[in-house]
Amino acid sequence: MIHRLLTNEEINVLLLQGCTAEKWTDITVKEGFSTDGIMKTRFDGKIRLGIFSGSIETEKAVSKKSGIYNSTVTNCDIGDEVFISEVRNLSNYVIEDRVVIENVGTLAVYGESAFGNGTEIEVLNEGGGRELPIFDRLTSQIAYLTVLYRHDPEFTQKMLGLIRNYCDSRKSHRGIIQSGVIIRDSLIIRNVNVGRYARITGACLLEEGTIQSCREAPAIVGEGVIGKKFIILSGSKVDGAAMLDKSFVGQGVKMGKQFSAENSLFFANCEAFHGEACSLFAGPYTVTHHKSTLMIASLFSFFNAGSGTNQSNHMYKLGPVHQGILERGSKTGSFAYLLLPSYVGAYTVVMGKHYANFNTKDFPFSYISEEKGRSELVPAMNIFTVGTRRDSEKWPTRDRRTDPEKLDLIHFDLFNPYIVGRIVNGINILNELSEKTDKKQDRVNYNGISIHRLLFKTSRKYYELGLKTYIGQEVVKRIGGAGINATLQELRNKLKTEGNEGNGKWLEICGMFAPAQKIDELIRSVKSGKIRTIDELNERLVSVFNNYERYAWVWCSELISSQTGTRTEEISAERLAQIIIDWKSSAIKLNNMILKDAEKEFDTGSKLGFGIDGDEATRDSDFQSVRGVYNDNKFVLGLQKESHEIEVKADRLITLLEALASLK
Amino acid sequence: MDSIELKNRVKKVTAEVLELEESDIQDGANFASDLGASSLQSIRLVAGFEEEFDIEMDEDKALQIQTVSDAVTFINSYLK
Repeated sequence: MIHRLLTNEEINVLLLQGCTAEKWTDITVKEGFSTDGIMKTRFDGKIRLGIFSGSIETEKAVSKKSGIYNSTVTNCDIGDEVFISEVRNLSNYVIEDRVVIENVGTLAVYGESAFGNGTEIEVLNEGGGRELPIFDRLTSQIAYLTVLYRHDPEFTQKMLGLIRNYCDSRKSHRGIIQSGVIIRDSLIIRNVNVGRYARITGACLLEEGTIQSCREAPAIVGEGVIGKKFIILSGSKVDGAAMLDKSFVGQGVKMGKQFSAENSLFFANCEAFHGEACSLFAGPYTVTHHKSTLMIASLFSFFNAGSGTNQSNHMYKLGPVHQGILERGSKTGSFAYLLLPSYVGAYTVVMGKHYANFNTKDFPFSYISEEKGRSELVPAMNIFTVGTRRDSEKWPTRDRRTDPEKLDLIHFDLFNPYIVGRIVNGINILNELSEKTDKKQDRVNYNGISIHRLLFKTSRKYYELGLKTYIGQEVVKRIGGAGINATLQELRNKLKTEGNEGNGKWLEICGMFAPAQKIDELIRSVKSGKIRTIDELNERLVSVFNNYERYAWVWCSELISSQTGTRTEEISAERLAQIIIDWKSSAIKLNNMILKDAEKEFDTGSKLGFGIDGDEATRDSDFQSVRGVYNDNKFVLGLQKESHEIEVKADRLITLLEALASLK
Repeated sequence: MDSIELKNRVKKVTAEVLELEESDIQDGANFASDLGASSLQSIRLVAGFEEEFDIEMDEDKALQIQTVSDAVTFINSYLK
């Protein structure tokens, strides 16, 4: 792009328009430049100016003539059709085309900056030891592997090296405000890069940060926000005087209402209002909405915090060194308290205050409650609650990320090799406990938590419903579309696995389910130098993510083999029919139990406080107009429909398989 | 087992699980609204009945039991 010096005539016009310059010859302008839109502005250092001939929409339905007005500009490259007005100090920035900067105190870069990239945060362990440099390409998977795999120092060092290299590439003495950005009514913005179409309005202080944004998913930073050493990614909204200190905000996050965070990570679709986060690792869909809720030194994902939720990571011994793991789908009731360290298995509800350090990772879908000061586990109870089913259906529909590039890799399947693997462990443990425990014994303590002896058998049955539902649905996914004249060989072909990747242990890498074998391969590639950049690392993770269905079927097929003693590609029609019969019965039972749970939301107990000044008829009528009726409830109708479809599909397959079995 | 014995044993399990006096449990009492059974205790009640009568109740149907007399009828259907 050709820039030229100002002509004497242009300098004279600018002087008449109240402009001054340290050195007019340090100012170059683009061909087509006109002095029209430059008023009362002081220029210092090297300046490049674009063309200001048109107008620009500075806010909805308000257009202003582009140009630079009443501002002080130092060492800046300014693009075309910008509107810069009342900016007291604009220094060391590249301002791209069609940017609006209005009523801003300072927007400046001082010295060299990586714009928040490379800021080391003490996540998960407040006492340190799991430091993570945040950066604007960070994903929940990279964070998980870097923060939690400290047992492998070589891998950790390599990961930190990849991150450092990336962060070094972000260093510059100049910042960038990309095209389409609006910055208005803000006080101090220092060493901050701002991505395309981002909006900053009314921010108090933004310092050492990057705001990634794009046209499809603009990032918004609103009133009263104070951010120091931060990264905010596309589609996120941080407003309402939120305070960010050494923190990372991923894609599609909502944060505000005076929420404060330090040394914390928030990945895709998190919501954080009112409360406080310290050394928090908030995986995708972590939600905290209430005051007096502290989330500290723990890993969460798909989590919902009840009001007053709290954890202690400090036992006044060697400092705040304890950590918590709450696996996907956990939630806490109001004023639930956990004494860390503790490990809460997936989809578990925690109620009450817990002073024991327990580990329930092999008991997903459980309830943890407090009874007379004791922590009690009811394994599998959350497998048939309306909340679990509703949550699992709502998450995929509430993915706010509209950026074409979604950084965090997220699987949503409720039943999957990782969770079902845990269910299998849970069944084995319950069987073992059942055999070992005397009938006179009321309860046993397992990994720091009490389980009522009576529940061993019942909980195991609930887990088995989940197990049979999973196996059946995976089989039906593959043979469900088979025609009524299909042969057994055709069905077996549909059940064939591709390779053996997927066998063995599975992991959840903060949102992504993956075979441990694939993660081991990735680790080896990082350690050997085969993966050399953050982009290559992300590509590898995406490849594992995209092959999930294939790997998961290998695992499921292996599970079927271990249960039936036959490989799926050699399975008999009778065995296959039994899988479908079990699926039909278990899936419909589970749905019925969930419906029963939903029914409670409409029973007399739920009507307390309704029809406030009237009789029972008033109560029922008031309740109905507010909450509706069970039989018309959308969730209920959906589940009833699902049960009917399962029945139809299962009956069709059973008929086919029984016919094939009789051919022998 | 006669129906009186069955009812008494249902009340015994109910009293143990809900930590109540057997004498306070009426035949038509609703486990939740009259006896204060929480969801967690309901699961334990089902487990308690299964052990007491050495039966395996259908998971979804068992959760539909609302009252002591429902429980008696339901368990009786397994004992026949």
